[in-house]
Amino acid sequence: MRAFLLRRALHAVFVLWGVVTAVFFLVRLTGDPTPFLVDQTATQQEIAEARRQLGLDRPLSVQYLDFLRAVPRGDFGISIREKRPAMPMVLEHLWPATVELAAAALLLSTVLAIPLGVASATHKNGVVDHASRLASLFLQSMPSFWLGLMLILLFAVQLGGLLPAFGSGGLSHLILPAVTLAAAPLAQNVRLIRSGMLEVLQQDYVRTARAKGLAERLVIYRHALRNAAIPVITVTGLSLGFMLSGAVIIETVFSWPGMGRLIVQAVPGRDFPVIQAGVFVFAVIFVGLNLIVDLLYTVVDPRVRLT
Amino acid sequence: MIRRALPLVVALVLLWPWPIAAQPRTVDGVAIDPDAELVVALSDDTTNMDPRIGMGSIRSNYIRQVFESLVDVDSQGRPVPGLALSWKPVGELAWEFALRRGVTFHDGEPFNADTVLFNLDRFFRRNLDKLGLKDVLAATQFEKTYPFVTRWEKVDDYTVRIHTSEPSPTLWDFIGREPMVPKAYTIKNGADGLNDRPVGTGPWKMVEWKRKTSMQFERNDAYWGTQPQFRKMRFQTIPEGAARIAALRAGQVGLIEGVPPFDAPALGQDSRLKVVSSPQKLSCRLYVNARPKDKYDSGGQDGLFSDRRVRMALNLAINRDAIIKKIFNGYALPNASPVASVSYGYAPQEAYPYDPTRAKALLAEAGFRDGNPLTLQLLFPAKHYGQSFDEMAPAVVEMLKDVGVQATLKPVDFATLLQTATKGTLPPNGGFAACRTGNNLDADDYLRDWGAIAMINWAPYPPELMSLYTATRREVDAQKRLKLLADLQRQVRDWAPVVALYQEVKVYAHSARVLRFTPLPELNMDFRGVAVKK
Repeated sequence: MRAFLLRRALHAVFVLWGVVTAVFFLVRLTGDPTPFLVDQTATQQEIAEARRQLGLDRPLSVQYLDFLRAVPRGDFGISIREKRPAMPMVLEHLWPATVELAAAALLLSTVLAIPLGVASATHKNGVVDHASRLASLFLQSMPSFWLGLMLILLFAVQLGGLLPAFGSGGLSHLILPAVTLAAAPLAQNVRLIRSGMLEVLQQDYVRTARAKGLAERLVIYRHALRNAAIPVITVTGLSLGFMLSGAVIIETVFSWPGMGRLIVQAVPGRDFPVIQAGVFVFAVIFVGLNLIVDLLYTVVDPRVRLT
Repeated sequence: MIRRALPLVVALVLLWPWPIAAQPRTVDGVAIDPDAELVVALSDDTTNMDPRIGMGSIRSNYIRQVFESLVDVDSQGRPVPGLALSWKPVGELAWEFALRRGVTFHDGEPFNADTVLFNLDRFFRRNLDKLGLKDVLAATQFEKTYPFVTRWEKVDDYTVRIHTSEPSPTLWDFIGREPMVPKAYTIKNGADGLNDRPVGTGPWKMVEWKRKTSMQFERNDAYWGTQPQFRKMRFQTIPEGAARIAALRAGQVGLIEGVPPFDAPALGQDSRLKVVSSPQKLSCRLYVNARPKDKYDSGGQDGLFSDRRVRMALNLAINRDAIIKKIFNGYALPNASPVASVSYGYAPQEAYPYDPTRAKALLAEAGFRDGNPLTLQLLFPAKHYGQSFDEMAPAVVEMLKDVGVQATLKPVDFATLLQTATKGTLPPNGGFAACRTGNNLDADDYLRDWGAIAMINWAPYPPELMSLYTATRREVDAQKRLKLLADLQRQVRDWAPVVALYQEVKVYAHSARVLRFTPLPELNMDFRGVAVKK
């Protein structure tokens, strides 16, 4: 296990180096941020002066080496648009807003998915199964911005301001964006658990467990669900990564001050330092989550060995 | 006894510290809530509060609540005294500003001539080292844009004189409209302090800024002018238009900006809401390549649109009434003048008629007939100016095709468009759709576009127009200058450097509880005198 962790740590360093290098060069391929920072009537001379002040007139190799030297210190430079250090900007959007939203959505999408998926599998072709499959199809098919707006219209407008239409700052603010963000992963998890359970429930060991006289609840939740859960863990790990990094539409509809919108706004504005810091944080999140998912396999299925 | 005590009683009554400047409790006969909080939803947060960094349409809204400039504007967009009581030219090569007395910044620092001199140092990046100030990358580099401003001096504590090396009739505007920051506070806290915890003289004090979320203001009770009639205000970022409308309908915000034109009538029918609008200094146009070959990276060719008849033909091919009615639901104006209709010195011009037959004839005269059609590669910044702009661009291209122009439309992101315009790498048959805005009041802000080669100058003034333009920049007599400006606008209209499309009208909606809100024809909202019904 120790060797595994060490190797994964080394891999992580290479992955992160690759990511920061790729993003460094890719963002510069998109062009120059200086036209954004000067007046529309700026002359070439004024634009050149702005480039000099930003340090963008230096050779690319020099800029890259300076960047690599600064990254280990967490220094991704100063935001071109906001004139503040980029990494603290990204982190203040990650915590608490993005983490809070992603955690709530993860909780909803897994806690609700387990009983719904199990019920759907154990009552195959019954009313519960049909209702659950139809609801899953509906939730997965709906664009999140549409669902978000419908929830706002229902809970904030039609029901007389039962829930806030926008912003963050308390449980009531969290409900609508978390439900919207959880909708698609919830549906996916329900379907995964259902299909996994249907497969596992046919296995010999389930029949054996039932033959031993174990209570049906124990058969399902202790023996069957544990095996059916492995693909759900993989997908949940990825979903969480996307929830942490890509909830930009939800953030836009609900004015949630998360990291996704910050990075998406930085791209057209060519705010290189913010893009670099944001992508680095995304990479760390994905690498970390993948590691956690690998470790979780060993917990769920003792046959899995990490070497 | 009573007679002897009377003077004492009168003196006591007069000298007793009765609460002064009590807020009026009614406005227009309606009871108001002086302690109310107004939540205003905007589509984005500001990126900076230090005005030197830049003042776009969103940023101005935030910055001008806190900071004020020497010259203010009224609801019609006309220049009125702000931190300066008056301004006048002194001879041909100087301007004098008489400053308002008794004004203090939110932290108590007095506003006076030293403040103005400090701000001028900052605009023109002089003495920054001596003052221990960090330089900031500014949108307008004054020392390069206005190199003829040579020095400034304090005449007395409330009078400042600014000297130029050539006559500068618009100095009152380009200096006067820049927000003033406090000297001692800025020196002590630096530009970063000014940006994070701004301190101005304006009607609102910023008390909290949650970036990308909201900015909280509290009324400046020591404000020198008309105060807002409510105590607190919050600018809430709600990027999505539909979500802003939902929040307004739910009563969770009191006022929203950027109402989509086709949502305005439905909002207007709601008795709890009011829809108001105002023309903006945002003129949307097609810029076509009319640069001579030595002015850009053209591969040795002149721009295809250097012939005035070609540009006029494109102007005659556009059905502006249809665009304004069908795409903007009436919330836009046709404007044939190169100057926004709300600028100082604007002179209305004869509209370009929609005349496809004449357009075709002009193109034929210029040599573009069936066998040799005019081609146009048009770039437009998708998802930048709003949904209606994105719908307008293809409609315009179809109108151009109707008169035989082989026009193609390529959506690009705004950054790519800016870069292309900056580098001067449009093809000879290239052009782009964009909107021109301005922070200044004077017509010169628009007319200077064709003076020097810059990113939006694709049709440099011919010598005769350049002479006329130069004359407008040197004439200090206001009346004579207005005549010159009108003449220049007429000639520019006929010379047609761009294809004029429309001038934007910005739409706001607010709760009927909000009283006396009048949108300015400026980039910012003004809440002075606004009240909230009890």
